[in-house]
Amino acid sequence: TVTEKSTAIPLPGVNVVIKGTTTGTATDFDGNYQIEANNGDILVFTYVGYQPIEATFTGQANLNVELTEDAAQLDEVVIIGYGSTTKKDATGSVEAITSEDFTKGNIVTPENLLSGRISGVSITTSGAPGSGSQIRIRGGSSISASNDPLIIIDGLPITNNGVGGSRGVLASINPSDIDSFSVLKDASATAIYGSRAANGVIIIVTKKGKSTFSATLDSQYSFGELTDRINVFNGNDYRNLVRSQPINGTTLDESLLGGANTNWQDEIFRNTVSSQHNLSLQGSLFKAIPARFSFGLTDQEGALLTSTFERRNLGLALNPSLFDDHLKININANLSFEDNRFGDSGQIGAALRYNPTKPVYDQSSPFGGFYQHRNGSIVSNGTTNPVASLLQTNNLGDSNRSYGNINFDYKFHFLPELRAVVNIGYDNIKAKTINSSSTLVATNDDVKGNSSLGFQKRTNELLDGYLTYNKEFDKFRTEFTAGYSYQRFTNEGDNTGNKRDPLSFPSTFADPDVVLIGYFGRANFTLSDKYLVTLTYRRDGTSRFSEKNRWGDFPAAAVAWNISDEDFLKDSNVISNLKLRAGYGITGQQDVGEKDVFLNRYRAGDQNSQYQFDNVVIQSLIASEINPDLKWEETSTLEFGIDYGLFNNRVSGSLNLFQKNSKDLLFVAAVADGANFSNSVVQNIGELQIQGIEFSTNVDVIKKDDLSIDFNFNATFLDREIQNLALGQDVRTGGIAGGTGNNIQLHRIGEAPNSFSVYKQLYDVAGNPIEGAYLDTNGDNVINDDDRYLKENPGADVILGFQSNINYKNFDLAFNMRANLGNYVYNNVNSSNAQLERLQDNAVLGNLPTSVLNTNFVRTSDVIISDIYLEDASFLKMDNITLGYTFNDVCKGLKSVRLWGGIQNVFTITNYTGLDPEVFNGIDNLIYPRPRTILAGANFKF
Amino acid sequence: CTDDLDITPNDDQTTLSEDLYVDEGAYKQVLAGIYANLALTGTDGAGSSNLKNIDAGTSQFGRVLLYTQTLAADQMIWSYENDPGTRELQRNLWTAQNPLLLGMFSRAHLSIALANDFLRETTDEKLDAREVSSSVRSEIPAYRAEARLMRAMAYYYMMDLFGQANFTTENDALNSQLPAYGRAELFNFVESELLEIESDLIGARQNQYGRADKAVAYMILAKMYLNAEVYINEDRYSDCVSYCDKIINSGYSLASNYLHNFMADNNTNSAIEEVIFPIVSDGITTQNYGPTTVMINGAVGSIEENGTEVGVGAGGWGGALRVRKQFAQLFDGAFGDDDRNTLITEDRPIDISDISDKDTGYIIQKYSNATSTGGFGVDQTFVDTDFPLFRLADVYLMYAEAHLRGGGGSASTALGYLNSLRTRANNPAILTSGEMTLDYILDERARELHWEAHRRQDLIRYGRFTGGNYNWAWKGNGSNGIALPAHMALYPIPSASLAVNPNLTQNPGY
Repeated sequence: TVTEKSTAIPLPGVNVVIKGTTTGTATDFDGNYQIEANNGDILVFTYVGYQPIEATFTGQANLNVELTEDAAQLDEVVIIGYGSTTKKDATGSVEAITSEDFTKGNIVTPENLLSGRISGVSITTSGAPGSGSQIRIRGGSSISASNDPLIIIDGLPITNNGVGGSRGVLASINPSDIDSFSVLKDASATAIYGSRAANGVIIIVTKKGKSTFSATLDSQYSFGELTDRINVFNGNDYRNLVRSQPINGTTLDESLLGGANTNWQDEIFRNTVSSQHNLSLQGSLFKAIPARFSFGLTDQEGALLTSTFERRNLGLALNPSLFDDHLKININANLSFEDNRFGDSGQIGAALRYNPTKPVYDQSSPFGGFYQHRNGSIVSNGTTNPVASLLQTNNLGDSNRSYGNINFDYKFHFLPELRAVVNIGYDNIKAKTINSSSTLVATNDDVKGNSSLGFQKRTNELLDGYLTYNKEFDKFRTEFTAGYSYQRFTNEGDNTGNKRDPLSFPSTFADPDVVLIGYFGRANFTLSDKYLVTLTYRRDGTSRFSEKNRWGDFPAAAVAWNISDEDFLKDSNVISNLKLRAGYGITGQQDVGEKDVFLNRYRAGDQNSQYQFDNVVIQSLIASEINPDLKWEETSTLEFGIDYGLFNNRVSGSLNLFQKNSKDLLFVAAVADGANFSNSVVQNIGELQIQGIEFSTNVDVIKKDDLSIDFNFNATFLDREIQNLALGQDVRTGGIAGGTGNNIQLHRIGEAPNSFSVYKQLYDVAGNPIEGAYLDTNGDNVINDDDRYLKENPGADVILGFQSNINYKNFDLAFNMRANLGNYVYNNVNSSNAQLERLQDNAVLGNLPTSVLNTNFVRTSDVIISDIYLEDASFLKMDNITLGYTFNDVCKGLKSVRLWGGIQNVFTITNYTGLDPEVFNGIDNLIYPRPRTILAGANFKF
Repeated sequence: CTDDLDITPNDDQTTLSEDLYVDEGAYKQVLAGIYANLALTGTDGAGSSNLKNIDAGTSQFGRVLLYTQTLAADQMIWSYENDPGTRELQRNLWTAQNPLLLGMFSRAHLSIALANDFLRETTDEKLDAREVSSSVRSEIPAYRAEARLMRAMAYYYMMDLFGQANFTTENDALNSQLPAYGRAELFNFVESELLEIESDLIGARQNQYGRADKAVAYMILAKMYLNAEVYINEDRYSDCVSYCDKIINSGYSLASNYLHNFMADNNTNSAIEEVIFPIVSDGITTQNYGPTTVMINGAVGSIEENGTEVGVGAGGWGGALRVRKQFAQLFDGAFGDDDRNTLITEDRPIDISDISDKDTGYIIQKYSNATSTGGFGVDQTFVDTDFPLFRLADVYLMYAEAHLRGGGGSASTALGYLNSLRTRANNPAILTSGEMTLDYILDERARELHWEAHRRQDLIRYGRFTGGNYNWAWKGNGSNGIALPAHMALYPIPSASLAVNPNLTQNPGY
């Protein structure tokens, strides 16, 4: 039997060869092997990621060996597109994170396992329970098209588009089923995925079955509390402020003041209790099929009243091997049931505004006993009671997802160097949304409240097949891979409309299918383990473009040089590993919203968008915008990298310099009016350049049996610049609250995407801002749109991550921190609320952020575009800290118990004045706040 | 199986053009689409838009027309100045970046593109190839004439507002580079088109309600001739008079009640005698954030909360629209009890010193989602009220003005027309021939036609829009009005539109 030394777990698939011969075998799933050998033969045991061992056969019946993990880990397997490699042989920028390195803490969705771990990767998650995240690898290479990375689960690329009723496309996946991530960043690594790889690739590998029995049970509870509020006036201060009138010449109606002291934010936020339980069983089914079964239960309360996230996951992995391991079959089947109740985060804004001198409840109110601004049963214009709005609304989303794949990996009997792999995958999401509200909601409409039912279904089918051929000639190793991939996505649904409203209609929708077909190939050449060359090529077709443009070619090449294997470094005590890498490749992008814009189409008006001739309804038909010339957006990436290891790899890491140039950006841009059926259509216009430096280092400070300290530090410097746009035209973007269709951001040549476009605020001699006074930047004596200037952008210039793990005897301590530097946020909360005129809106009094006292601004429309609301939102956060203690060999059958506790969102250091500086698009319009959470849990291993 | 890459739309609402005309009903539906572009912004509800980079609601044809012709002049104030473009428009500070101007320019050109598409799809060759039935074929000439009429109307507004347009007809392929036409070229094209299609157009008042007839073509011609001195520096007043005559002799008569023209049932009440061309609106089937929805919800007073009287929510839009002082003063004296005076003045100062203070300045109650029989429209936001783009009262006023400007016709007829408007408004004071002056007509046009998207054109024709001989509240961004430079009589070509067609040149002064 061959076992793993530290855990005594049997190792399957270990190569056993009689030294000096070609006679050999491999261990089975129980680590057992049989070989015919003669006395005195030396058996060589090799296994990727472990130090090889030699043992002499002396006639014993059983020759058991224990393999130790290779400390250098250079042979660590790294999953790449359509195959795997080792860290040492990798030529591209690939980072692998396995389960022991995952970020710890309150992890509900899988991407957070990576949070802060990998240079160049930023993950922004909102505070809503189970919410999705914005994942960006190297900042994103597109402007209008998708900037989401391609996410692949066990070979199945998943869609980035979620469904109504779900919190996000990753929210239904149980993080505890994940074994490892590979993040492919540069084109030489990603180009094998061609058309979808421009924003990087995240490959998720789920846990597999094993043939020996083991079981784990993980439970955790968490208790969350929001630590911060937007500062608004309390009841007493508010009464004093209103009574101090006239305020700037305006008189307010004091009779609208009440006697209560209500903190509306306290009323809509709550402390939360959440739990997660995961059970997994591994073992051999029918003594033949290694299997893994998992069951997960997640129950999250949102900090905002009524919002909840519940998820049940069932996972099954079957991993049989047939024909002397020539055929390996991997089956993954997963079911996920997600039940959500969505609390309207718009009520956070209502709570900020709601009159603090009024009570939450009012027995005389005809609206369910909630206080409302009203005149008898007529509701006054303006905000309604946020507590009532939340409690009287019940918006549910049930999303059922089944996904999985079956993978056949066949090593040809007559030609073992040749493998054939076929992967069939599927992903179906069916979601139901039920939106209903009480008939007692505060409204003057004839129709009281809402009751509607929606349904949506997304499917994703995959068929992949490839052949891999390995051949070694003395010092020269080659590997060739060639394959085909077919994938189809569908999306359809319907909605009943408001069943209480006779004027509301049911509706249906069905997206055009998206079909992607690719042919791909890769060749690896390795000479003396020192000189490595990888060539890849993919030809991709998409149904999004017309026949003449639909195929794109995506080549890449990379070279690497393991300098540390050269004679002059081989014996160095300092440098244990040094590799230089260079790569260049082209990747594509076709993921724009429009799926059939190349076709000549007409669209009929829906039930509310028809015309009438002679007072009889006629369904109008209107030609849709068309661009038959739409083609691939292409991103070329040039990268130089150094992988280093010092002092026997106790210090290791890498440094990457890269430049990405995207051209033919898919961009909705103007067309000559009258020449098309819109003033703008998606086109291939514009160029974007990203330059960046990534640095990472892993340090084993102390590595002893009972004390180990290590840390990981990574840093990313990013600079994105638009180099060309349609006819040099600025493009306004970044819609804000406060007015219909106001924009605060702009794309402009020579600037970063989404740069803020603002007026330059003028100040008096005392340093106070002068309301509505701006710099006349073009000197034409008129202050108008032409005087707006560009200042900063939402992207961070520097992203830093720091994690540390400390183990002392049975104690383990881990924490991680992140920092963003140079990211700016437009404080839309202040810009659209902190003005004195908003104290009274018609017959309703409204609260304001107390920051109004800093500016004493009166009129929103005069100041909303001022650069005074643009703030440096650099921050340092400690995301979590976790302390655990492990009891080993507790009793028979229970191998270990680890008890742990931790804190999520430990602290944030920032100068930003809003609630949270981490705002993905740079426009802070009341994000769902992230609570501070105390965690406690136990892990049982059987 | 690379054939799988050839996809077709799956959605019920979307049809490939090659499949569209298999159903012969499609011809009329596509024609309806051209008309619908004046009312709808998209095919999927009032919030959808087939134009981009502009808010859906604020690219509605009638609304941007109202903003460019009325909000930019002396009759209207929009309270929510953080709605982009409104502040610059109503304070006369606009630049080529103004989104509302982009909305106007792009929306009108979309009408042109849709008309061209229809004309391309209804050629004899195509109809022959599709073996279209004779009953449908007999309708096609009128359909084509109406498409050309809608195209001409779009060019007419471009000539008036921007002085330029991208010129394209059914003979151009999609996505062609287009020549730019200036005012003279547009004038000639619109005039010749309207004259050419006259025979194919259905006779005045003979077509289905909502579709255009000969009188609509006459109306555009009459307006072009009245303003010809502005457009092409030519005196065409006699043409104006003769086309006004043609309309007046087509069987129209004034609605029995002035306010019928602006009510929820103006598609069935006495207004159908008067309205020459409506833009249809309906609370269910034709929902839009167009001029009637905006004016009815918007004019609800912040203090009065009088929305229920006009068939919308009590608070409406919280006092979005008010009137400026100079307009309110037109109802002083003899016009105080005139039906056209719908001013609400109680508890309100006439002056607006602070535009965001919705309690200042008078409001009006001209448009309504109530019906003439005491009912209300079906929806409390989206009104049933059709927008009366052209109506007979305007023709009467044009006749009298063109007559006074030397266009011939009869003075007594003109006086009769003017008095019929006053009589219809139950105003007992009879206008005498001595009082019939151009100044009177300009004021009377304001009283009769306010908030109907005519004012800027009228003031320009009278030389009172730019310059300083008439300063109204907030003109040029002064609360008492400041002179405007002459170049502001034309709007700038929106910068996005200018950039994509190098044949356009920016208007002088911008």
